Amino acid sequence: MSNLVRSELLKIRTTSTWWWLAIGAFLSIAMAFPLNAWLFNTAVEGNAEDVGLTGDAASAPAQAANLYTSGQYLGLMFVMLIGILMVTNEFFHQTATTTFLATPRRTAVIVSKLIAASLLGFVFWLVTTVIDLGAGAIFLTLNDHGTLLGEWEVQRALLLNLMAYAIWTVLGVGIGTLITNQLGAVITASVLYLIGTQVVSVLFFMLSSWLDSLAVLKWQVLWPAVASQVMITPGENEMLPAWWVGVLVLIGYALVSGIIGVLLTRRRDIS
Amino acid sequence: MSDGQSRPTNDAQIVVSGLSKQYRNVLAVNNLSFTVEPGRVTGFLGPNGAGKTTTLRMLLNLVTPTAGTATIGGRRYPELAEPLRHVGAVLEASSAHKGRTGINHLRVISAAAGLPRQRADEALALVGLTPAAKRKFKGYSLGMKQRLGIAAAMLGDPRVLILDEPANGLDPEGIRWMRGFLKGLAAEGRTVLVSSHLLSEMQLLADDVVIIAAGQLVRQGPVDQVIGSMAQGVRVRVRTPQAEALTSALAGGPARVQTDEHGALLIAGVDAPTVGRAALGAGVELHELTTERPDLERVFLELTAGKAGIR
Repeated sequence: MSNLVRSELLKIRTTSTWWWLAIGAFLSIAMAFPLNAWLFNTAVEGNAEDVGLTGDAASAPAQAANLYTSGQYLGLMFVMLIGILMVTNEFFHQTATTTFLATPRRTAVIVSKLIAASLLGFVFWLVTTVIDLGAGAIFLTLNDHGTLLGEWEVQRALLLNLMAYAIWTVLGVGIGTLITNQLGAVITASVLYLIGTQVVSVLFFMLSSWLDSLAVLKWQVLWPAVASQVMITPGENEMLPAWWVGVLVLIGYALVSGIIGVLLTRRRDIS
Repeated sequence: MSDGQSRPTNDAQIVVSGLSKQYRNVLAVNNLSFTVEPGRVTGFLGPNGAGKTTTLRMLLNLVTPTAGTATIGGRRYPELAEPLRHVGAVLEASSAHKGRTGINHLRVISAAAGLPRQRADEALALVGLTPAAKRKFKGYSLGMKQRLGIAAAMLGDPRVLILDEPANGLDPEGIRWMRGFLKGLAAEGRTVLVSSHLLSEMQLLADDVVIIAAGQLVRQGPVDQVIGSMAQGVRVRVRTPQAEALTSALAGGPARVQTDEHGALLIAGVDAPTVGRAALGAGVELHELTTERPDLERVFLELTAGKAGIR
């Protein structure tokens, strides 16, 4: 198995895709950090309501957590795309043949892709978090708030963010095995991630006003991108489920897509 | 390349038995059985769509058979402990990531198969690609891609080589190189199974042939035997301005005379000296007297006639 994981990591290292996606992840930090810094200032100056922040979410630790995970929204999409490409590349470049000749045990191949994907998710998390920690600590210290890194809420956000990176990469591998067409998989997943979330929230908002129930909004957590937001959002209210619900939903998706991926790949004719 | 170990020869024997593959609308392979022996080059021949590629892919566990088995040394491909040390396969010329260098392509495979890292360099040298090691695959010519495919197949120094249309896209020099390479491997006692529809090339390369059409076995055996088994054996080709005189001189004997589209006589049933004597006796002037042996192409076309249609 370690041979296979090594081979999968080598596959990633020996092409330039990860490099482009890493640049994308870096740019998304560059865009998100100033916005989150502005949100932090707005919230701690007592104008949280102006930007739609209430309760716990407006507290300094919650906003620090948000700042320290800047770039997560697009970063997660990029690691998901890496996961997808890990599978679809094999079909696009017809290397599935060589891969399954070297290892006819297909379950082992997919499992090693899942392991390699989560390792890669870890690396992306590590690098983005180091950048966020550096920039965030400087920003907060300069504004006389201290680093706020001692706050459990901040630490928890960082750790859950790690989990999000690993799970989204794994989810990407699962999507890749479901949709082996490279372009199809990349476009479907990106559109669902970027636009699907807004569509889902609009639908739930309509449903909620129709049923005259705010609690309905909680169920948005079933949508993976929402689940991953919930996971790193502190606090809980009648519209927002607890963070661990997001964790469970995401793990559920990762498990289901991984299992379906293994089953499909075992049966598929490579021709 | 030989590892010096003496293993039983049947360790490298390929046995296909009752193999069938039903796709949605097409029975691509229909109850196919044949064997491939070590130490020989076996040509796997058939018209387009005969089921050659599907058969090879079933042998390698890439496609699941609907019925039957295909084994290498008595075991199915996924049952081989270290498949790449046992079997090397070249299936498509274009099966590498376009943005990856040739050497890295081989390293990825070596890593997955648990082979030592330097095997990648050795295999690349074996096919003469070392100068292009660090070039990306998309910059490779078709011939270089074929060579890289062979290098990948040779990574584990396997006892059995399986190649699907390896001569496709090769220039004459490349084809000659491939012929020498595969013959050399067979001479070392390895099993070499090569699918192709380049029949003249196969006649130069193969010791045995397996001919299939419409998913079924048509003929299997040593090339000479398969060619010799044809009803229409040796013919004598004669060009003469006095065709009628020669025909009547041969009449009454075992000779069967036909005329081809250029007016030459094709005489079956007698050998060239007999025809020559008859001509001399009748005072017939000859411009050409040639013995024509059937070649693999003629045999193949006759054996697969009417079975090559689109299914």
